[in-house]
Amino acid sequence: MGQKVQPRVQRGASPVTRQQPGRVRRGLGRAAVPACLAGTIVLAGGTGIAAAARAKTKSSTPTFAQACGTKAVTLTGDFETGFPDIVDLTKLFSKQYPKVHWKINTNAYAEITTNAPLVLAGKNAPDLVRLPILEGLVKDHLLLSLNKYYNEYHWNTFPSSVWAQNRTNGTQLNTGNIYAWGLNNQVTGIYYNKALAKKIGMKGAPKTLAQLEALFAKAKKAGLTPIETWNAVPTGLTFPLQQLMADYGSVTAINNWSYDKPGATIDTPANVRAASVLDSWIKAGYFNSDATAQSYSGAMSEWTASGSKDVFLFNGNWQAGSFDSSQPGKYGFFAMPPVKAGGPVAAIIGPLQYGIAAKAPNPSCTAYFLNWVSTNPAARKLNVEQGGAPPIGPTKLSVPSAKPGTNTEESIQVGVAVAKDNQGMGFITNANGSIYTESETPELQSLFAGQTSPSAVMSSIQSAYKSEGS
Amino acid sequence: MLNSATTSRRPLGAGSTLGGLRTLVRADRARGWLFLLPALAAYGMFVLWPLANSVKYSFYNWDGINPAKWVGLSNYGQVFTNATLYSAIEHSGILIIFFSFLPTALGLALAAFMRSAIAGRLGTVARVVIFLPQVVALVAAGIAWSWLLGYNGAINQIFYAPIDAVLKLLGLGAAKQAWLGSFQFALPGVGLIGVWVMLGFCTVLLTVGMGKIDPSLYEASQLDGAGPVREFFDITLPSLRQEIGVCLTVTMIAALSAFDIVYISTQGGPANQTMVPGLEIYLLAFTNREVGLASALAIVLVVLVVVCIVPIQWYVNRGNES
Amino acid sequence: MSSSRATAYGGRVMLVVLMFWTLLPFISLFTAALHPVGTFPTGLSWPVHPQWQNFINAWNVANLGPILKSSALIVLGTVPITVVIATMAGFALGQLRVFGGRAVMLLFLIGLTLPLEGIIIPLYYELNSFNLIDTRMAVILPLIGLFMPFSVYWMRAHFVNVPTSLTEAARSDGATTWQIFWGVQVPLARPAIISLAIITTIWTWNQFLLPLVLVPTNVDSRTMAGALGAFQGQYSDNIPLLAAGSLLILAPMVIVYIVFQRQFIRAMLQGAVKG
Repeated sequence: MGQKVQPRVQRGASPVTRQQPGRVRRGLGRAAVPACLAGTIVLAGGTGIAAAARAKTKSSTPTFAQACGTKAVTLTGDFETGFPDIVDLTKLFSKQYPKVHWKINTNAYAEITTNAPLVLAGKNAPDLVRLPILEGLVKDHLLLSLNKYYNEYHWNTFPSSVWAQNRTNGTQLNTGNIYAWGLNNQVTGIYYNKALAKKIGMKGAPKTLAQLEALFAKAKKAGLTPIETWNAVPTGLTFPLQQLMADYGSVTAINNWSYDKPGATIDTPANVRAASVLDSWIKAGYFNSDATAQSYSGAMSEWTASGSKDVFLFNGNWQAGSFDSSQPGKYGFFAMPPVKAGGPVAAIIGPLQYGIAAKAPNPSCTAYFLNWVSTNPAARKLNVEQGGAPPIGPTKLSVPSAKPGTNTEESIQVGVAVAKDNQGMGFITNANGSIYTESETPELQSLFAGQTSPSAVMSSIQSAYKSEGS
Repeated sequence: MLNSATTSRRPLGAGSTLGGLRTLVRADRARGWLFLLPALAAYGMFVLWPLANSVKYSFYNWDGINPAKWVGLSNYGQVFTNATLYSAIEHSGILIIFFSFLPTALGLALAAFMRSAIAGRLGTVARVVIFLPQVVALVAAGIAWSWLLGYNGAINQIFYAPIDAVLKLLGLGAAKQAWLGSFQFALPGVGLIGVWVMLGFCTVLLTVGMGKIDPSLYEASQLDGAGPVREFFDITLPSLRQEIGVCLTVTMIAALSAFDIVYISTQGGPANQTMVPGLEIYLLAFTNREVGLASALAIVLVVLVVVCIVPIQWYVNRGNES
Repeated sequence: MSSSRATAYGGRVMLVVLMFWTLLPFISLFTAALHPVGTFPTGLSWPVHPQWQNFINAWNVANLGPILKSSALIVLGTVPITVVIATMAGFALGQLRVFGGRAVMLLFLIGLTLPLEGIIIPLYYELNSFNLIDTRMAVILPLIGLFMPFSVYWMRAHFVNVPTSLTEAARSDGATTWQIFWGVQVPLARPAIISLAIITTIWTWNQFLLPLVLVPTNVDSRTMAGALGAFQGQYSDNIPLLAAGSLLILAPMVIVYIVFQRQFIRAMLQGAVKG
């Protein structure tokens, strides 16, 4: 079959009829981050529910000509700033398939979150988009279901848990059609500035939370900034908070909440305790004092600036590629230590999500590209080297290895350790479409400013979650 | 659109008597509509028609895609009961202090003191400089000021000592901070940007206005033994009624419809402390896809502007008639 | 005498302070722009080795060429039409005194107070139905409409003050209304028209919300200000480059302003007072 061009659906008087519960949202998309963790998966096995869409008939995979046609085609992409890996992948693809050209826009994650509905609904909806939170876009029919391509390309050969957070019914994750595809696997942990860590006497990654806190205290005493973060936009404080939640509570409980399991609550004693510890870090002055005025890229700029005094950074492996290339050897990466030495190691894990616009002009060719990224050896190698993260693809394919001693390699090890302990978590910001902009971020900004208490943070996130989910 | 909308090319009769002219003038009064039409069409199509649609949308629950559902006035109810939406309106009230009252008051004071200085050569240069914010995109002002007001910014660097002293006096915490990230200072910080944008305009406008005041008024009052302060209140202030009205009107519209600066510098944060109606409308309509609610807020904003402007205009016009 | 001299000095000092305050953001951007890429400049500090090439890099990295062209095209599409139809309307209202002119003027006056946010939502759906979203036309057409209240008011104010005897004299020479407009009135209105063109050029250039909403993806079809928003999103991790890019984006209008400052300031003040 030749390429299929989706008819452009006129907006306004829309062909889709579906009643929607009217909801008031407050707060709004205050811009997010590179929070590339659009959800959770558990690397090996775990809670991931097996993919529902099965390839029932064994069909042959579409060829390039079937997917992209025989004429020159221009694919459009809306990507996140600061992630050169996807751009390099499009270049590599064009090299292998010269008929395909790319037109790429890049924007900060904050803008992507705010503008995605506008962009996807517009006349020039792009083919491929870096996805912010899935559910709202799906509810508004702005994304194309990928079930067809899942079947055509046999994506059921990928680890089944990968698809858990790529599917949604518009309000919940892990159920419904597939709307996202993961470029690679994201994992969170803690970066440290090797030179400064040495100065405060850090020898190897801390084994317990107490050891980590002792290092914070030492850094503070030495006049350094123990933790660099961003709090003007979401997720800067959500990372340490959720890591602490896993330390004091259970990963299963967190995942139930992230997946919208009925009856799940975040307002538990363990989570309040986690918030209290975070609060004590804030009160002790461990974070950069301008955090609430700092955007993600601003914080990264402070962190990487020459002469920076920042020692630790709660962040994910999406930064590993750029650290490895721009500041090789300067930073290390380790997993959040457990409360007790030898305890299980937890991390937020999820696919870096991309999706195809419902109005994409070239959906089948774009899907061909996605499958190529997942399976082509050169693409997978590039993914590790540039993206700093292991690619997602058929389980039988080997994962390209990273250079020893790089942040990429360290983060892959963290991913393996977390998988071994079965401690992968879904990101609490993805529990539903707007919980992070409307509740989590304002609450954590208030906590940082000393305007609220740890228990109030948890109870108000829970009540926003309940009103949103209903 | 502009082509031959006006078709009065037919030659006129030679009879250009006075009576003939009168009929012609009357004909003009009708034919003039052809000159008016293009402007009216553009205005109607891209201002009035959308405005009518805003009103219409505000009565519906609509996500911009699926069929809309009539909900009557309930969107308006939400505007006034939803804490975030309502506080956005309150914030624009506070911004009026910074965008309108401060520049007008400061502009008056500065104009009174600098009247002679601004007449000289320095004044010519100064006028060009202090009018500059009117030329610069607000977005750029937002970028520059978020940088200035940052932890490592020039405001902390230059004004550390006086700010520290004032804050200590008020017991308001650390002097060196990232102003736009602070709960207490983010909104005043945005307001400060507004002061910067508006001060030059008001100062120049008021200076020019003062230059128009009849000097004999001052001479007369000096003969009466009035000092400069009494002069200011007795002569200067009443004579500037119209200029003050203009300053307040222009700056209030800017305060109430603030968008660019907030979008760039704080995005409404922290924790909605700097959320304003303009940004809320944008986010509600295009990010959250609550078109009806956003439209209701938009209409409330339109009405709010009128409610703020009308008394000022009334005050100014009353002065003109008396 | 000495007290008035003191006031004069005081006034001059204040003027200098006010100028410094106005220029502070630009100075701050400028010094930040000269710092080496990858550093985090603090406040107003002059770098040890000023990096002048940052300006060239910012130009290339941000791809400012196409955006400059796009802004110019939007100005060229907006300003001439605005000026022509506003002049015609001002002539009709101020000279021809059309029937119902007062009511029409009142209708335009409403527009002077209208915040853009009040109509941006329906504008989006309107232009979407014309299939113009993401094109420069999506900025040009609404801008023409939005400029009408001020422009018509401004031109009417000019024509009201032109004695009607001029029109009548030309009329008695057998000229048509159309000929009178172009041959007699427009040349006389040149100063008002030039001022209007300058003001609308600057306003077009600086328009932010319209391109943000109506040109959501094609940053290369936006105005400079609209592009600056995207630019900030892309380069906020690189302060020196962001500062350099911002200054480059500001430069064209500042130059226009400096060249035409006399007309611009006068027009802004008069327009405001008349409005």
